[in-house]
Amino acid sequence: MKKNFFVAFVLLVALVLPLSAQGSSESSGAFAPSKDIEWFVTSSPGGGSDIYTRAIVDIMNKYNLVNGKTFLVMNKTDGGGEVGRLQVSRVAAGNNANHTLLTFNSGDHAPMIQNTANRIENFTPIAVMAVDKQLLFVGEHAKYKDWAEVLAAIKAGKNIVIAGSKGDDIATYELLVKELGVTQNQVSFITNDATSDAITSVLGGHVDIVMSKPAAADQYVAAGKLTPILALANSRFSGNLASAPTLSETGPYKNVENPIWRGVVGPKAMSPEAAAFWSNAFKAVSESAEWKANYIDKYKLVPEFKDKDAAKAYMQEFEKTTLKALGK
Amino acid sequence: MNNFSMLMSGFAVLFTFQNIAATVFGAILGLLVGAMPGIGSLAGVALLLPLTFKFNPTTAIIMLGALYYANMYGGAFSSILIGIPGDGPAVMTMIDGFPMATKKGRPGQALLTSNLSSFIGGTIGMIILTFMGPLLAEFGLKFGPAEMTALLLVAMTSIGWLVGENPTKGIILTAFGILLASMGMDTLSGYPRYDFGSIYLLGGIPFVPFVIGVVGFSQVIRLMGERHHETKLIVDKLSIKSSMITLHDLRRLLPPAIRSGFLGTFVGVLPGAGATTAAFMGYAVQKSFKSEEPLGSGAIEGIAAPEAANNAAAAGAFAPLLALGIPGSGTGAVLLGGLMMWGLNPGPLLFTNSPEFAWGLIASLFLANLITLMISWGVIPFLVKILSVPTRLMIPVITVVCIVGSYSTSNSMYGVLIMFASGVLGYILSETGYNTAPAVLSFVLAPLLESNMRKAFIISQGSLKIFVEKPISLVFILILLITICFPLIRVALVKLGWMKKKGAV
Repeated sequence: MKKNFFVAFVLLVALVLPLSAQGSSESSGAFAPSKDIEWFVTSSPGGGSDIYTRAIVDIMNKYNLVNGKTFLVMNKTDGGGEVGRLQVSRVAAGNNANHTLLTFNSGDHAPMIQNTANRIENFTPIAVMAVDKQLLFVGEHAKYKDWAEVLAAIKAGKNIVIAGSKGDDIATYELLVKELGVTQNQVSFITNDATSDAITSVLGGHVDIVMSKPAAADQYVAAGKLTPILALANSRFSGNLASAPTLSETGPYKNVENPIWRGVVGPKAMSPEAAAFWSNAFKAVSESAEWKANYIDKYKLVPEFKDKDAAKAYMQEFEKTTLKALGK
Repeated sequence: MNNFSMLMSGFAVLFTFQNIAATVFGAILGLLVGAMPGIGSLAGVALLLPLTFKFNPTTAIIMLGALYYANMYGGAFSSILIGIPGDGPAVMTMIDGFPMATKKGRPGQALLTSNLSSFIGGTIGMIILTFMGPLLAEFGLKFGPAEMTALLLVAMTSIGWLVGENPTKGIILTAFGILLASMGMDTLSGYPRYDFGSIYLLGGIPFVPFVIGVVGFSQVIRLMGERHHETKLIVDKLSIKSSMITLHDLRRLLPPAIRSGFLGTFVGVLPGAGATTAAFMGYAVQKSFKSEEPLGSGAIEGIAAPEAANNAAAAGAFAPLLALGIPGSGTGAVLLGGLMMWGLNPGPLLFTNSPEFAWGLIASLFLANLITLMISWGVIPFLVKILSVPTRLMIPVITVVCIVGSYSTSNSMYGVLIMFASGVLGYILSETGYNTAPAVLSFVLAPLLESNMRKAFIISQGSLKIFVEKPISLVFILILLITICFPLIRVALVKLGWMKKKGAV
């Protein structure tokens, strides 16, 4: 029984310590965090957004950018993430609003405006940190060896199936189909919960083509299990992905690029001083060596920092185009 | 034998003080996390992950592997003792475990049965993983949408074994489970479905609060009616000896445990099918074998089959994770995220690039399996004591456990509301003679079936031929047809005198 008491004691200490550490140190003028920061992530632990968030948290802690306070990362996945987003947008003005952050990327933004009445004007954009893009890959046993063969098959009236993840991938697929001038029946898309599931179906030979961001496909390319055939970008990728041409290289098409941005927002009620503080903190993260080595390079993203004003304009523009595409 | 020597080198990696301590710590934590309803291995691993960044990757993954593994043991504790499944896989353990502990008055034996079966199933899974890991992973890849659809259809028909005496009520609840599972976002297109304009319902009914409610909280409501009854069970002796099972029990336990061990490993390897599906299928298969007592009344076989299957599945799930970098479950995905954070690239190159890591992990599973068995065996006498707590004291305690468990799945009161609502629903259903198990199971299987079937139809352009063209799915479709038609055929055979009449199934 002694062990139980010990465990209970440790838990108790772990619970109580943060409380006592919450001394209030109110200061006027420039904002500095005075209590623990609640950082909402609307996807599950271990997913892309979660990794992104925790990578930033690590760097902020390391450089002590938040006045020695602690980040509480909250994975709130209810309602496909809408509940968490709504909750953040509704935080009332005051100290809480200044200590609340939300991981926000185009994969969150698009479903939010599609499925709910929540809009970017209900948030305070803080930063855009990086941009991700996709490629198409074929598996070892695929019927097609390169994009030219796929195009030939499409012209011959064959049906093509692409597997991918949700959100961004669907949007990119729709752009691709539109540019190719074919119907969604001829080139169809299978939505998976995660890119890893899509890759599984290609490795098993059930589907010919998979859409993926570089990070998820990296190992499979190295092992020769996947071959990049088309860069969904305005220019080719580097490294082992350089062999994939862009769409305009393969025929009379325009390039298809649907940049997936990863950003951070706060509640609408966040004070301008706090927003400026956070924008600077994220800028410092984006300039750190760790960010470049442990996130950007590792997961082959394009570094693209935008401060609060640039991020605001960027997200508003994104919302406008998405709404237009939805016919809303 | 190459793999065997690799495994031995894995043990060599493992046997440092630091790594063994990590295994023990992970195992203890896993048991605790598993025993708490709602906080499954997913949350446990996710919570612990940040702590492990200071460790070297091998030690860290050994600890997380042990945690994940021990969790499968812990889930059965609350199922058996208080009738609340600690996690998804433990739902099936409850069906026989809870009656065995309470009605039959053999709680210690029920727990030990569950532990031993877990150990046997897990060991089988690990041995298969050691010698056939990459092969197994390749085999799992053969299961695309069409094959999974056929397999899940077979699984759905076996719900028939669970409907009990009243098939109509069983079918109604199966359909009800499917209907509930279809709420939320469409699995393929992401469009809202049956959300009634509520953003909470947009994400669907969360599984864990639903199960805790229907199965667990409905118990609490029932207990409230019996709160003045004296607790019948008095456990006076706190010793490991009093919870020993007899040799006869062991003989009953072995066949289902071994069978489920193989079945579970196989299910664990399949994409998207996790330990819950494995436990369910283990139990369903047991229905078609002979059990000494009828299943559902507290039969040892009914505990052994699902427990062995879910532990074997947990081991099997490591095959695609290590050999191909494909997570077979949510927890696998978090482990995968961990691997990446430590600078290891999971994927087809892991065994080649970091053999000491991969084999160290596999070796740690063996050790965790053994350690967990010993620890849980040791705590059985203390756990059994729970049953002698008066009912009126247990009611608030279990209620708190239910609330905490359903809150922690998504850190919101939404889960708690779902838990209470499904609890009331579950109570009404069971009082009116409906067995809630079919609803829970169709709730688990329906989303998997839906997404796989729709993916198969996208691939085949809507043609049904895909299910008979692929050999694996053809086999399952044949099994399906035989299962469905067998009762009819049997009637014919009996009439012709070719087969002896059998008692009601």
